[in-house]
Amino acid sequence: MTGTPLLKVRDLSVGLETGGGIRPIISGIGFDLAPREILGIIGASGAGKTVLSRALVNWIDPPLKVTSGSVIYKSQNILDLPAQKLRTLRREIAYVGANPAGALDPTLPVGQQIVEKLRAIAPEVPHDEARKRVIDLLGAVRIPSPQMRYHEYPSQFSGGMMQRALIVDALVSNPAFLVADNVTQPLDVTVAAQVLRLMRELTTRFDTAIVFISSSLPLVSDAADQILVLAEGRVVERQVTKALVATPQHPYTRELISQIPKIWTSEAVAIDPPAQSREPIISILDATRSYRVRKRGTFASYSTVRAVRNVTFDVFPGENFGIVGESGCGKSTLMRLLSRLERPDSGHVLCDGQDIARLSGKGLLKFRRDFQLVLQDPFNSLPPRTAIGAIIEEPLKTHGIARGEQLRDRVLSVMHEVGLPGALYDELPLGLSAGQRQRVNVARAMVLEPKVLIMDETLSSLDQTEQFKLLKLFEQLQVQHGLTYVYISHDLAMVRRVCNRVAVMYLGEVVEIADNSRLFFDPGHPYTKALLSAVPTLEERRYKPEDCLLEGEPPSPIDLPPGCSFTSRCPNAFGRCHQQSPVLTARGGKDLAACFLVENTLTHAAA
Amino acid sequence: MSVTETDIPVIPVPTQRGASVARRIWRIALASNEFRVGAIIFTVLVLAALLYPELSGIDPTKMSVATRLHAPPFMGDKWSWTAPLGTDQIGRDMLVRSLVGLRYSLFIGLSTVVLMLIIGCSLGTVAGYYGGRVDMVIMRLTDAQLSIPMIILAITVLGVSRPTIPAIILVLGLSSWPVYARVTRSVVMTERKREYVRAAEIYGASDFRIMVRLLAPLVLPPIIFVSALDVARMMIFESILGFIGLGVQPPTPTFGNIIADGRKYLLNAWWIATMPGVFLCLCLTSINLMGASLERARNRIYGGKS
Amino acid sequence: MFVLSFLVRRLAQGALIVFLVTLLIFTLLRVVPGDPVRLMAGGMAPEALIEQIAKDMGLRDPILVQFGRYMGGVVRGDLGQSFVRPASGASTGGSSFGDSTRGERAEVLTLIGETLPMTLQLGGLAILFALVFSFLVGIPGGLAPGRWPDRVAFYISSIFISLPNFWLGIVLAMLLSVQLGWLPAIGYGGFAYTILPAIVLAVELAPVLIRTLTGSVAGVMMEPFIAVGNVRGLSRSRIIVAHALRNASVPLLNLIGIQISGLLGGVLVVEFIFDYPGLGLLTITAVLQRDFPLIQGIAIVTSAIFVFINIAVDLIATMIDPRLEY
Repeated sequence: MTGTPLLKVRDLSVGLETGGGIRPIISGIGFDLAPREILGIIGASGAGKTVLSRALVNWIDPPLKVTSGSVIYKSQNILDLPAQKLRTLRREIAYVGANPAGALDPTLPVGQQIVEKLRAIAPEVPHDEARKRVIDLLGAVRIPSPQMRYHEYPSQFSGGMMQRALIVDALVSNPAFLVADNVTQPLDVTVAAQVLRLMRELTTRFDTAIVFISSSLPLVSDAADQILVLAEGRVVERQVTKALVATPQHPYTRELISQIPKIWTSEAVAIDPPAQSREPIISILDATRSYRVRKRGTFASYSTVRAVRNVTFDVFPGENFGIVGESGCGKSTLMRLLSRLERPDSGHVLCDGQDIARLSGKGLLKFRRDFQLVLQDPFNSLPPRTAIGAIIEEPLKTHGIARGEQLRDRVLSVMHEVGLPGALYDELPLGLSAGQRQRVNVARAMVLEPKVLIMDETLSSLDQTEQFKLLKLFEQLQVQHGLTYVYISHDLAMVRRVCNRVAVMYLGEVVEIADNSRLFFDPGHPYTKALLSAVPTLEERRYKPEDCLLEGEPPSPIDLPPGCSFTSRCPNAFGRCHQQSPVLTARGGKDLAACFLVENTLTHAAA
Repeated sequence: MSVTETDIPVIPVPTQRGASVARRIWRIALASNEFRVGAIIFTVLVLAALLYPELSGIDPTKMSVATRLHAPPFMGDKWSWTAPLGTDQIGRDMLVRSLVGLRYSLFIGLSTVVLMLIIGCSLGTVAGYYGGRVDMVIMRLTDAQLSIPMIILAITVLGVSRPTIPAIILVLGLSSWPVYARVTRSVVMTERKREYVRAAEIYGASDFRIMVRLLAPLVLPPIIFVSALDVARMMIFESILGFIGLGVQPPTPTFGNIIADGRKYLLNAWWIATMPGVFLCLCLTSINLMGASLERARNRIYGGKS
Repeated sequence: MFVLSFLVRRLAQGALIVFLVTLLIFTLLRVVPGDPVRLMAGGMAPEALIEQIAKDMGLRDPILVQFGRYMGGVVRGDLGQSFVRPASGASTGGSSFGDSTRGERAEVLTLIGETLPMTLQLGGLAILFALVFSFLVGIPGGLAPGRWPDRVAFYISSIFISLPNFWLGIVLAMLLSVQLGWLPAIGYGGFAYTILPAIVLAVELAPVLIRTLTGSVAGVMMEPFIAVGNVRGLSRSRIIVAHALRNASVPLLNLIGIQISGLLGGVLVVEFIFDYPGLGLLTITAVLQRDFPLIQGIAIVTSAIFVFINIAVDLIATMIDPRLEY
């Protein structure tokens, strides 16, 4: 880049003070940031990205400690500045983090807090003007009705909305540079894509340089001019984005790029589709589930959240069935229906031809044995105060399958099978990594030798490398035990790799069911297209986000408007979509989509 | 915890392989000065209460005109080495009386807390686990109980009937369980939403099994720690009842009735009212120090979350 | 709108609670052995007369009938009349059963009305003392977890919680009033008489407040928005005052709501020791005299106070933290 750098980082090292000395987290980091540049920083979790991003804004608290180096902005080392001086600099140095929900005081209105910040760093701005500026900016980041939103509380904002508000918070003082640490991590892909687009626009408008930190190379490569690769606390490579992707120099970068799942460039399905002649192992027939929630601030009026609406599909033995959708689409409720944690209000869930809602006693226990679930959150899904061996034993004890030495042997063999060292048998889960915890979860499910395993976002909390290993494990288990998998996920790349058939959900409905390649190469529903357009990938995009998705977020599942639920975000919506709701329509083969355009094409073709 | 923290390594609590959680808490607490101080005072007091009255051969109820109103050594005109805390208005030995009082106090305090734990934790677990109507009924019941000061309830019952030891334990226990029910309920409610409970439901564990095998080991330790502090609280209530005249009845000495007696002689024999109080305070402080240190140790292991 | 529906809901719940309390106390008083008429009439009164009085007062009717009659009165605002106290004031002894006709006995409502303001004054002052002290000790403790202010808070609360209120009352009365003559202690002859009892109550109340405050301040200081506040350019004092304390005050408020009944219990003992003419003293004498209507009336009033204070506390908490919804 040209001209004098805005920010100079030299030999920056941060360590963790432990009882026995200082353990380095990042060491010898050095780079320059030019005005208006977007610098991406990429690395696996544990590489020290967050520590680096905090060091750049002088936010290093004990037990972390800056051990050497400088961060020079306008010829001052901000790591040495006294708190008072640093605070006046905060108007030029801004930070947005990965936790939008926690970044503001939950007890005060959002707008008021942004004004408070602006007036803390720029006291000369009068209150009225500050307020006006905040409202203007809230509008500029496309938060609908900013006048009203100004007075609302953080808990009333959705994740994507809150991240926009925090971008306003960062940009309100017109900073010279902005550190954006994993800003899109908690967001759904379609919302993340919008936020990313927004950040690029705003930096041009405000002349702000950005340090953009993420663990997802595709995301960073979408945003950044140059990319810096961080591995084990050191910079291993820095290149212009295109060059980095095309010709990675360092082995670590090469490995990183090789692990990024391909969507369109390779045939990635891992297993052959099973023979279709067999009976379905799971059939879900027109299942609907609603919840009643008390309306806020009312005495006795309730509104209905329709979490799952008229869902129908079959899963066949030996299949890998995928259910995809973004948060709030009803995936979790569907999981609860499939696993009989809840019963549908109407419709049926059949397993091996039996209605599971009617099961009880022995029949239910038998179903429980055959049908296991691996859950999403590696930290919540293990009882924190039970030893790992005991956790895995519990299902066996519950079913009275084995006792004594036999019990221990079975547990140890399952642990071995999922790649957990037997030495962990007596350990508490406290010290385990997320990947190891998920293996314990898999072991707890596998120990009952089930026929069906539902993977509810099982891999979403793991980094690429761990995901890769666990998927290998799942494949292996499937070959050995003839399992049927149902993957519930928001990660299209993962689904592309492992699933034969995929159902796409939006606001409680299945909008499309198709074979893997048909779904990715010839999607029938505009929402599927929008999802595909937002997938972070290094490949040439088949679908452009600009063409596939309107601004905005999904409507609330409470009191849905009539018509197709995707209308508000659909670029192809027309008159009929506002009045009627389309049903799943066959579009050749067994593939179905719920869109009037499909119907139209078919009728046109027939005519 | 914030998501931004993922990159910052968690400092692991030094773990001993296979050591149970309770033992680890115990070890950390034992290492703190506060706990040690409390434990030493408590042990000395309990040993003295168990041994001294019989070993010394002094009858706590024996009157003796000759030794009336003896002060503790060096603190008044009349004193003797045989009565290190002095004697009361009818010549009874204050040390023995206080120690016997401590026996009753501890016994009543402990039994009451056990009763409270049993009632409160079971009802709280059931309420938190099932929610809905069951929860409604149990919670309204605790609301009602919490809204009348337990001491009013206790003195009403004991004042109208006869205050015997079982009656005191029953009344104190039955009027204080709501706190336990509430705490248990709230912990069970949070834990119940966690995924490991869902996993257990899915592998077919019954509600009872989930409550006993999964939730109880999580929910009970923090509550048992709180209960150590409640032993002290119940001992105070026992002494209040005695003070008002609704505790264990004289001639059996209790802190309450000794202090109530001594109050009448406050001006010329200050030690009768104050000395048993010092004893009681010492004992309560020792229990509170131990209880609070255990609580702190637990928080250190679980990062402050219950 | 929100406030209105909240109030309606909570008042309905509160009415239920007061009803349950009344039922509980009413049943207890009738199930537990001990005949109030015997006490009223005196040990010498002939059995026939006692039966007669009991019948006249309706004490031999089935409990449900008695309860129905009583609730009928309560709904109309009539808490009945004291068994023992004459309308003039001082309580009557057992021997005067002949002349204590219904008309001359004191109204429960009047008795409570005379003593309640005294108790509210005492309780209010105690809460004030306790809050000021807890803030001074608890906030520094919460801001420096593990360091000396935290330890000071720990020790102070451990010791305070170990002081039995009646004993502390006696000792303080002896020291501050008898020995030093700084404060008046026994009876009531002006506002100064409230201070010493209030201090004793505050010592009883403070430890829990200190622990909660220390814990919640320390907890809030770990929240991400506090750490980010610094990076956003807010000063530390502003973060603490405007955000940390604001958030930490919610658990404190809830605690005060719960502690109210404990405080009323303490009031009882302290008023007894200092001979302070409030509701607590009235309760103890009522119990000792088996004055059923008075005990019932006091239970209703105290539970109503509890209900109202908790509604107020929750309302304030909702105003501070709009996420809370009761």
